[in-house]
Amino acid sequence: MAMEIDAPQFKIELVAELDGHNDRAWHLSWNPTRPILASCSADKTVRLYNYRSSPSSSSSSSSSSESLTFSHTTTIPTGHTKTVRSVAWSPAGTTLATASFDSNIGIWAQEEEGGDWECMSLLEGHETECKSVSYSSSGTLLASCSRDKTVWIWEVHPDSDFECMGVLMEHSQDVKCVAWHPTEEILASASYDDTVKLYVDDPSDDWYCTNTITGHESTVWTLAWEPEKGRYLASGSDDNTIRIWRVTGTPTTGVKSECVAVLKGHERSVYSISWTKGKKELLANGDGQQSLGWLTSTGGDGSLIVWEIIEHQDSTGSITIAHRVVTRLDSAHGVFDVNSVVWCPREGLEDIFGTAGDDGHVKIWRVSAV
Amino acid sequence: MAFSGALTLTDLNDFITPSQACIKPVEQTNLPEVADPGAASTEIKVDSAGGYYEVAAPGVKSVREPQKKLETAQISLNDCLACSGCITSAESVLITLQSHTEVLNFLSQNPPRSDPSHKIPVISIAPQTLASLAATISSTSSFAPISLERILRRVEAFCKSVLGFEHVFDTTFARHVSLLEHAQEFRERKGGKGSLPMLASACPGWVCYAEKTHAEMLPFISRTKSPQQVMGTLVKEWLGKRWNKTPDQIYHVSVMPCYDKKLEASRSDFYNDAYSTREVDCVITTGELDLLMKEKGWDLSIPVDGEHDTRTAPPHVHPSEQLPIVGDNGTHAQPETPQSFTIIPELITHPGTSSGSYLHSLISLIRSEAENPLELSVRAVRSSSDYEEYTLTEPGTGTVVFRGAKCYGFRNLQNVVRKVGRDAGVQVGKGAAGRLAAVRGRRKIAGAGGSEASSGAEKGYDYVEVMACPGGCVNGGGQLKPPAKSSGPSGVDEEGFKRDWESNGVSLDGEEGGWIQRQGAKWGDKEWTRTVEEMYWHGLTGLPTPPPSPRTGSDERRNSVEDKKAALADRLATLVLRETCQPQVQDKLSHWTSTMDDDAEARRRTLFRTQYRAVESEVVGLAVKW
Repeated sequence: MAMEIDAPQFKIELVAELDGHNDRAWHLSWNPTRPILASCSADKTVRLYNYRSSPSSSSSSSSSSESLTFSHTTTIPTGHTKTVRSVAWSPAGTTLATASFDSNIGIWAQEEEGGDWECMSLLEGHETECKSVSYSSSGTLLASCSRDKTVWIWEVHPDSDFECMGVLMEHSQDVKCVAWHPTEEILASASYDDTVKLYVDDPSDDWYCTNTITGHESTVWTLAWEPEKGRYLASGSDDNTIRIWRVTGTPTTGVKSECVAVLKGHERSVYSISWTKGKKELLANGDGQQSLGWLTSTGGDGSLIVWEIIEHQDSTGSITIAHRVVTRLDSAHGVFDVNSVVWCPREGLEDIFGTAGDDGHVKIWRVSAV
Repeated sequence: MAFSGALTLTDLNDFITPSQACIKPVEQTNLPEVADPGAASTEIKVDSAGGYYEVAAPGVKSVREPQKKLETAQISLNDCLACSGCITSAESVLITLQSHTEVLNFLSQNPPRSDPSHKIPVISIAPQTLASLAATISSTSSFAPISLERILRRVEAFCKSVLGFEHVFDTTFARHVSLLEHAQEFRERKGGKGSLPMLASACPGWVCYAEKTHAEMLPFISRTKSPQQVMGTLVKEWLGKRWNKTPDQIYHVSVMPCYDKKLEASRSDFYNDAYSTREVDCVITTGELDLLMKEKGWDLSIPVDGEHDTRTAPPHVHPSEQLPIVGDNGTHAQPETPQSFTIIPELITHPGTSSGSYLHSLISLIRSEAENPLELSVRAVRSSSDYEEYTLTEPGTGTVVFRGAKCYGFRNLQNVVRKVGRDAGVQVGKGAAGRLAAVRGRRKIAGAGGSEASSGAEKGYDYVEVMACPGGCVNGGGQLKPPAKSSGPSGVDEEGFKRDWESNGVSLDGEEGGWIQRQGAKWGDKEWTRTVEEMYWHGLTGLPTPPPSPRTGSDERRNSVEDKKAALADRLATLVLRETCQPQVQDKLSHWTSTMDDDAEARRRTLFRTQYRAVESEVVGLAVKW
């Protein structure tokens, strides 16, 4: 049964297919300041690619987009003894963090432009597999989570030094994902215990859990904040749904949340979601509605779905959230599971995202008008 | 699927908690049955009593017995010590070896005194335990704060009259001895014999964690025995000889604020092979002592006879047990005060922290030995009372003489491990990390800033008082929980969270029900920890905060009652050293720091120090991808 697509004027087209990992590809991260893409794999390496724009060869397309050419620049062997599950660039784009099933977080940087990527620091403390790692928007905090049920918060000091600010033992099961608010120091974590938790720092005390979000009926695998203001948090779950939560409050007042939308479309677990502010000219703005951008999702069914999330304000001022499927693509990595989907955060490339699959490939996609 | 309730208590903020299921396998007691391949389908069933049965799966015909009871895994403390599966926190394991029922079993089976196989039952109580009991009494009654001495009298009365213990001690004299030996060890390390910084060794949670995950920290951990184990030496080796008893003729129980003290007492280092006995036979927690009193109907809020009296001679002590008192020159002297008649000085105050004052005792020592007065500055790291740096500086030159820190709680402990590893240039971490490509860059950068470092501001620590629990020992995992607040809907804690113990596998029924229900209040309640801390100092000194550290100058030092007590303890410690280590030339032994002949020094090391060993991870093979 085909999904109904409300306004089928977009398609997902393949821009590049990057092979090279010898085992399943788990995750990827776009450098926010430079044209570098990092991918990680069960083969324990991180592969770095450069990319550049060139005028589209197929000039027949009316799209203003240019084509992107990717070239592999280096492979970091990492030295992690097990799968590298997740990678994250610092906001300045100078440092890369790796989360590994060997229970460690690696911090990587170049001593000089063009030099080797070297391990500058190793954050130990997790007892078992690290699942996710994330830098805060200011780059001063790093969060990690693990199968050991804990979430750790580290303060980033000069000279690749780190100080542990908190060990949060709030979840009763594996923690699958951590995600920082795009502007505030609010951290979200998702767990096998079916909940999402939000944490803030008590300036006179420690980091603490300020809100527990319940509603998903199974493991919560993935999280994504609405990228511009962070007023909404999306979560993807093993219950095949994506839920959108309105998050109110500040770190000082504490934070509350309510479910404002349930996105149904995947037939299997939702493993990964990513939210972009989108290209303004492609969004459905105007007339009492404001687009919050595009959210893309993927998972065990191998499908990619791009959703538009729209805020409606009626005459009384009350705000509701609507969503529509912009476009979808099935079997994105053939018969293989798709493990991650990540939008490119760079200016002008808001229609580009990458996926990492069990086939070991990283694929780059563009959402474009038909 | 529930393990025992304790195994799933995961909402302990900042305590070291187990994160992995116990990996100890069930031993097969019967030979494997010859299974025919087609009929191998069985299921595991759990009955209401928690028994496990293997039953045939539905639809599978079984010619064998319809259900077979399966063995329950029995986990001893020694299994826990040898395993790297979970990290410490002994409340998470099924403790069969050391519990209050074990104490009752022993006491009921102990033959009468006339019988040659009678063992002398001795109980030693930690001062933090007394503070926890005092705080609970004071919170449930309108009385003014009660002194720890009165609490000790009441607990003593209970232990002697109801349980039948023959001797009841507190562990502060053992701590005094531990502090003396600890200072001695620090001097040795400072003199080049061993690694600096020295890290405190009294917290068994920290020691266990280091052994399992940070073997590179072991050379830094003080080898001095903890007060509990020094008490073991005092009771079994020193008092035992005075009582003319061998170590196995004494049954020694300690009451501790901490479950991990049970693990400590079980270490092979504290086992006497010759007599097949441990220094401390059984450790119970404050909570278990409270449970014992409740089970026996003992109300600790009711005063006992003579609890206001200043203890002169202990009522039940035979004159032959009275101790001679040693003078300053090491010779026997006439008793100065009536207190001299007690077997062991009681409730000695060690100004500094309620977790043993290890750091402050070193600071006092260094200040008292310095030629010129030293300036002490204290800095709370991130305004946390659980992480404070103490620096001793020469006022004239600004030279940093000593840098120490107190560091409590799992999170701060992580940072200390990182800092110590970095300053000392040792590879931090587990085996897997050791193989990671050398961590580069930082050292180079750090070297570039060397000129700054030479000013002394960047001097590494000389000593760190490490405790695994936030708030230290007054907030130990074995302490009484804050009394449940009656306000608010039941089952909802202060933050509005529902506490659903039963869904977490915690049974609220049964004999442990009362104990668990009291945990409904949030574990690690900071306000309650402050109350217990205040009670600790108030109960010892009448003031809610630690008294100022002894100032330099010996005249001032010996003035107060407390200082006299400490001086008495110093002399008694010297006597202990002489009697247990038996140096050839006894006259020279005037202080704990006196150097003895090699044989006696070797005995000192056996009796008052211990060792650590890394536990290799066995879990690596169990790679689970998700």
